[in-house]
Amino acid sequence: MTATFGHTELPPEQADALRRAVRLAWVTIGFLLVGVTVVYLVMGSSQAMKAAWAEDLLSFIPPISFLVAVHLARRRPTVGHPYGYHRSVGVGHLVAAAALLTMGSFLVLDSGSGLLAAEHPPVGVMHLGDHVFWAGWPMIGAMVVTGVPPVFLGRAKMPLARTLHDRVLYADADMNKADWMTALGSVVGILGIGAGLWWADSAAALFISVSILRDGITNLRVAGRALMDARATTVEGDRPHPLLQRVDAHLRSLPWVAEAGSRVRDEGHVFHVEAFVVPRGGRVPGLDDLVAARESTIALDWKIQDLVVIPVDQLPAELLPGVEAAAGEHG
Amino acid sequence: MRATGGLLLAAGLLAGCSGPFPADPDGTLERVTGGVLRVGVTANEPWTATEPGGDPSGLEVDLASEFAATLDAEVEWTVGSEEDLIGRLEQAELDLVVGGFTGKSPWGAQAALTTPYTTVPDEHGRPEPHVMAAPLGENAFLVRLETFLLERHRDVLP
Repeated sequence: MTATFGHTELPPEQADALRRAVRLAWVTIGFLLVGVTVVYLVMGSSQAMKAAWAEDLLSFIPPISFLVAVHLARRRPTVGHPYGYHRSVGVGHLVAAAALLTMGSFLVLDSGSGLLAAEHPPVGVMHLGDHVFWAGWPMIGAMVVTGVPPVFLGRAKMPLARTLHDRVLYADADMNKADWMTALGSVVGILGIGAGLWWADSAAALFISVSILRDGITNLRVAGRALMDARATTVEGDRPHPLLQRVDAHLRSLPWVAEAGSRVRDEGHVFHVEAFVVPRGGRVPGLDDLVAARESTIALDWKIQDLVVIPVDQLPAELLPGVEAAAGEHG
Repeated sequence: MRATGGLLLAAGLLAGCSGPFPADPDGTLERVTGGVLRVGVTANEPWTATEPGGDPSGLEVDLASEFAATLDAEVEWTVGSEEDLIGRLEQAELDLVVGGFTGKSPWGAQAALTTPYTTVPDEHGRPEPHVMAAPLGENAFLVRLETFLLERHRDVLP
């Protein structure tokens, strides 16, 4: 069976990455199920534990949105969806980001008010049979057990997210990698309660909530930008995707092309390219030239499939912002 | 990375703290030991009973007296309504409130409800865990009390 995103057939490297990413998503969900159960059983009345538990619950959203988005993105374009279903990635990312933002704000208010009201969290004892011990110890144990594996999951997912150009997977990997901070924050909070510092727990919870809130804001910004057809960027969202330059350079290198400019949007996984070319000497290019130009550009990268080549007499500045400035510099 | 360093430092400092673990922010256990245990009692038979002019009685009153004895402490009884006593517990005017509280008690945000020291069927035959109310966050005291309740009286019946 060949793996596809819409009508894009994935090269072996991407197909393999997709298989592994899907498997990792299921592993993550299985691990989270165990994690939320364990933390729920021991969390008691610690604010920091509650915040960590909420973060664990939220961590279900990215792997689930990834699985749903990938499932949808595989569909071929239809009459009703001529651009395919790639945007499901953007929608999944936006949903995950909005969930993070909401929960982060809620937790910041909750732990902040706990700090202001000087709430003193009680942590008593637990018993297993005749064994009586301070309930803080199993909490710390649960945090260590649930805090370490996500770091490895995150590290395994990160390169796959780059290979697949998948932002939901990237956000998920990023959150997994940060999970150990949450766990350590909770441990510090519990040890603080043990040391008689009532504020340590709320302060640790506040620290965790602020990091959740920050994750939400960052992801919301990147997801929103992608959905608003921003210029295609790398999966981290911090710089223009290098493929943009390569498309223009490739078209310019064709013997019959004098000038080329394109606009590229990120549909999620794959790019959608509108390339404008100015033929040399105003000569109308032959049909063969146009077909060859299109096919050779598509061959540049698996992410390029949906491509239109439009011959024009000069690059349209209203469709390609920045073209005029660049031309002015040259002249 | 600076946040990480801060957290590790905090963890190290906390782990290095000497003294009892967990500790009381307001030192309840230290004050009560060899001193006075201030217990609030609200009548709820058969767990607690009060009579004007006399000392309170009942299973939980006996438990509280026994707990005070393990700390070499005198007991100072205060009789009142549930709301009044829980209010005083929050103001740190009392160290312990007994009155047949159950695990379903609505005072969880105002007081540290102990781990159940016994579970008996309620009037509908459903198991009902019985607890006491200690000050919030005084964890050395809470751990001492709960350990006492669990080790000596896990299966007490009224």
